[in-house]
Amino acid sequence: MTWTDEELVAKSIRGDADSFNELVLRWERPIYALAYRTIGREEDARDVCQETFLRAFRALPGFRGQAKFSSWLYRIALNLCRDWIRRERRTPVVQPPEDVDLLELAAASEPSESIEDLVARQDLSRVVERAMALLPEEQRTAIVLKEYHGLTFQEIADLVGCPLSTVKTRLYQGLTVLRRELAKNPKTKGTML
Amino acid sequence: MTDMLCGYANRDETIVAFLYDELEPGERRDFNAHLLTCTICRDEVAGLRTVRTQLARWEPPALTSLQSPVPETSRPAWWHEVPAWAQVAAALLVMGVSAGIANLDVRYDQNGLAITTGWSKPATPKLVTARPSEGGTTLVTDQSAAGTPWRADLAALERQLRTELRASQASAPVPQAVHAVSSSDAETLRRVRGLVEESEKRQQRELALRIAEVVRDVDTQRRADLRNIDHTLGLVRNDLGVEVMKQRQSLNLLYRASQRQ
Repeated sequence: MTWTDEELVAKSIRGDADSFNELVLRWERPIYALAYRTIGREEDARDVCQETFLRAFRALPGFRGQAKFSSWLYRIALNLCRDWIRRERRTPVVQPPEDVDLLELAAASEPSESIEDLVARQDLSRVVERAMALLPEEQRTAIVLKEYHGLTFQEIADLVGCPLSTVKTRLYQGLTVLRRELAKNPKTKGTML
Repeated sequence: MTDMLCGYANRDETIVAFLYDELEPGERRDFNAHLLTCTICRDEVAGLRTVRTQLARWEPPALTSLQSPVPETSRPAWWHEVPAWAQVAAALLVMGVSAGIANLDVRYDQNGLAITTGWSKPATPKLVTARPSEGGTTLVTDQSAAGTPWRADLAALERQLRTELRASQASAPVPQAVHAVSSSDAETLRRVRGLVEESEKRQQRELALRIAEVVRDVDTQRRADLRNIDHTLGLVRNDLGVEVMKQRQSLNLLYRASQRQ
């Protein structure tokens, strides 16, 4: 039987640790992806992810279900990301790409994917990552929440605490900057309109 | 910004809402009609759609699952889940088995309460002891145990122990269960080792396959490069040949002209 988030939360509050573990398994990847795309550092994103669940666990008795559990988790994670950015006093940076390791590539490739396709895929991913790192935090967060987590404009507005129109403006400005930046890069230039 | 060239109301927000399919049906209809006539907005929508396609290529590094942040100590011990009646039954069983092994004897008579184990009962078996023979050698004969009571007790204890051990070995299922568990563990260990070996072999095969692919790709590229070089050299040779032929013709002409003079 598959429990809903809310049912698992209720069981966790009653002391069932396995239910909370189930919530962690269910949400760790989205939260990690959110943290990574916001702050751009793998290890720190993992720490933020772990800290998010620890804080959620401690605050669980106070969770009254006024928001979805996922929204609540996203809010905790975003606050931690903001703290990280303030603490580091720098814009998020993307880890420098490492030299291409053929053996590593071979291990990561899909069975039907050639080495060339894999290199191209990873290159493209890095190009997008670098372009995203150029955006101001507000625009990047809006794009990440919309593009990778499928939140509605209203959900994003509630989560980051700004008007609906501001969310749309941030998205428009962010996407426009990305369009310009991606058009400059030879790896994505050919595909840009 | 292109919105200076297009006066559509709330243009930027409308484009974003259109892109993410969050326009009201009426707004969508109106904007679709606008797109038919406005190339600026049409191009921008197409460009931003391409950006969205590119964004989908951004993959964060893989995450190995986090360990549960819930402290292990907050989990109840396994025996807390066993019902109380089962715990009491298990305790009684242990007591019964212990009493049986100890051959416990509980008596209550006019002398009061007496608790003894089977091993402390008086034993009166005949003992086999040695006495000197006529030739100074030792002969075996029966002798009363009265003179050495501790020997009789010891012998009786030994016999009883042997009997009990034989009986317990013949009937007790515990050693078999232990054996079954240990053989089960050995089986599990053997299977795990088998799986690990199989996994290693599979990884080695995949690695070999990938390396072979790389080598093949490099070889293909090398052959293509060699062909190109060969082709280019051929062209150079042809050009050179033509040049040499022209030179010879020129020399011939000069020679003939000089001959005529």
